[in-house]
Amino acid sequence: MTIAVSTTPGRPAASDWVRRLPEYLTIWVPLLMSAAHLIAFTLWTIWISFTPSTLVPVSGWVGLRNYSAVAASRNWQIALDNLLLFGSAFVLLSLASGLILAILLDQRIRGENLLRSIFLYPLAVSFVVTGTVWSWLLNPGLGIQKLVRDLGWISFRFDWLIDRDMAIWTIVIAAIWQSSGFAMALFLAGLRSVDADLIKAAQIDGAGPIRMYRRVILPTLWPITITVIVIQLQFAISTFDLVRALTNGGPGIATQLPALVVYDLMFQRSLLGRGAAAAVLMLLILLAVLLPYAAWRYVQRRRAIHA
Amino acid sequence: MPITTTRRQLLAGSAAALALPAFARAQGAIKPRLTAISQWSAGSDGAAITALGKKFEEKGGVWQHSPVPGFTTEMMNKLRAQIMAGDPPACSQLKGPEIAAWSKIAPTVDLDAVVAAAGYEKVVAPDLAKLHKPGGKWIALPLQIYSTNMLFLSKRAMDKAKADKVPVTWAEFNDLAEKMKAGGVPYPIANGGTRPDDGQKFEAALAGISPAAYRAAIMNLDKKALEGPEIKDAFVQVRKIADWMDPNVGAQHFSTNLKRFVEGDMGMMIMGGWAQGVLRNAGFKFEDFMIAPGPSDNSKPVFLLNADAFIFWQRKEADLQAGQTLMAQLVMDPAIQTMYSQITGSIPVRTDVDLSGEGWSDGQRRTAAALKDAIASNQAVLSLAHNMAQENGMTAAMIDVITEYVKNKTIKPEQAAIRLAEAVESSR
Repeated sequence: MTIAVSTTPGRPAASDWVRRLPEYLTIWVPLLMSAAHLIAFTLWTIWISFTPSTLVPVSGWVGLRNYSAVAASRNWQIALDNLLLFGSAFVLLSLASGLILAILLDQRIRGENLLRSIFLYPLAVSFVVTGTVWSWLLNPGLGIQKLVRDLGWISFRFDWLIDRDMAIWTIVIAAIWQSSGFAMALFLAGLRSVDADLIKAAQIDGAGPIRMYRRVILPTLWPITITVIVIQLQFAISTFDLVRALTNGGPGIATQLPALVVYDLMFQRSLLGRGAAAAVLMLLILLAVLLPYAAWRYVQRRRAIHA
Repeated sequence: MPITTTRRQLLAGSAAALALPAFARAQGAIKPRLTAISQWSAGSDGAAITALGKKFEEKGGVWQHSPVPGFTTEMMNKLRAQIMAGDPPACSQLKGPEIAAWSKIAPTVDLDAVVAAAGYEKVVAPDLAKLHKPGGKWIALPLQIYSTNMLFLSKRAMDKAKADKVPVTWAEFNDLAEKMKAGGVPYPIANGGTRPDDGQKFEAALAGISPAAYRAAIMNLDKKALEGPEIKDAFVQVRKIADWMDPNVGAQHFSTNLKRFVEGDMGMMIMGGWAQGVLRNAGFKFEDFMIAPGPSDNSKPVFLLNADAFIFWQRKEADLQAGQTLMAQLVMDPAIQTMYSQITGSIPVRTDVDLSGEGWSDGQRRTAAALKDAIASNQAVLSLAHNMAQENGMTAAMIDVITEYVKNKTIKPEQAAIRLAEAVESSR
């Protein structure tokens, strides 16, 4: 009887509970602490966003004045436009390049491990380093443009970094360089887990490689695709260090992004209340991405249980 | 029992032994001590404040300076943290209207008596003095002055343009730039691409066109002046300057291009007086460049003031209070100001310091003379780009408009003028 109880999941014996105490402590204490930290500071930021705080936090109530001031500012409007462009271009392109790399690596080629490490390596580099290196490469007077011109193509132009309409694309380029390896790794794992029987069956039915990918393999990858999209989107929304090192919001204010505006308001302009309001707006944008994803996951799980 | 007694006696005895010297010290003269924070850690700035600390120690003080390297805003973050923790430094670097803003969040020291004893007020530019006594009382002391609109001319570029006359008005400036361009100087204007860089171009243009309009619009934020014709004219001049700059500089620091400036690849530079120190530090000679006051359409020098200062925070400790008094006396001392400016390349705050002697450069003498003339003709105004005219929030809102205009040539001058007025309205 005692043996039966202790092996029943969900109803552990007292001795079992004691034995697992260290386990509970190591998981729950840090989890609760970081949750409290996160929630406390989020609530504090929300509170500050309704106060007239400038140099230091002060109590008081200004309603939505900080929010309307941020929303009306040109910096914030430019940041939102840029976020839309940067977010969608970055997610789509890193998805595409990651998938292509994964498919190419999946062809049982030699040196796969080496290539995989090379493509993954940028992920190990800090965004500040990425931004700085690309700011040199893309500077027309120092980098790629000068190199090509020195090679003899005098009229070659690649000056996106100083072109206010194209500068946002330099951030897309650097961000893709940094994170397409990450998408590749996830896709590669997905490709490797495709049921071998499925592939064999398709081969027997006479499917060529292109058709095989299009009709058989890629459709099984879409849960991974959604995961990659969500992870990249939340990265795009909170991008800060990359822009700061690459363009610092310039030329002029052409490459502002929300996180840059928050930092600028809080620490350069000493407008804590407005900075907090901008931070809360950023949180809302993040939630707009994460909540549908959570809902989708929930529906998926329910379906799996009922199936 | 006997053991506890012994221990108690021992404790009491040692406490008395420890307290005795402190008591004796309190009875005698208090040793002045100063806790200070600033961003000055390296280069000529670091050397200058270290020299100031030496003087403080020579007078019997204990000098405890903690530099916070990096931008001024990082120093401010440390200051904010210390103030909120109830432990402000006895003295910290702070300048311009930030002195008034910060003095509202923590009590400051009333320096009126020590300033009056030194007769300091008579020898400080009036606009500058006002910034350091926000509530009518001196709470901060300016340390050194730079002008943000000095005109640097490359000798080699001048040779290429076959010109030798230093331009005085904006029209002459524009003529010279054209001549340089025609003479084979690819970029008549040397520049960096940072926000203060762009801001300096605008403030130099507006103050040079009309110091009165600058004072009304930028310093007093007068709505009518902000919508006045001078603002548009200034933006027209800024566009001309922008067209002569090398667009490739991106967001680089101005010093990146000093070599090209000296070599005559770039012709003129509108920059603060500190550029002289940077040029000299980079190994260039005085024969390589000329320094003159920035263009002024009424031919009398216009001086855009940028002044570093120390603010004094209230402390209860007697030794810190004594240290604050000693520091204030030192900062106002003409000999100390001479020492400091000779290290950093600035000019003294005191208008009565004689710069004819050894240790001063021609550029410094010219800057000091320009300040004197500008004060006499009421043309000494406060720099916007270097946070002297307005608080950080307002400054940043205005610089946003200016830096976007410099980089985006599809914005028309009249549009920029309207945007500037709007930016001011929304930041009030």
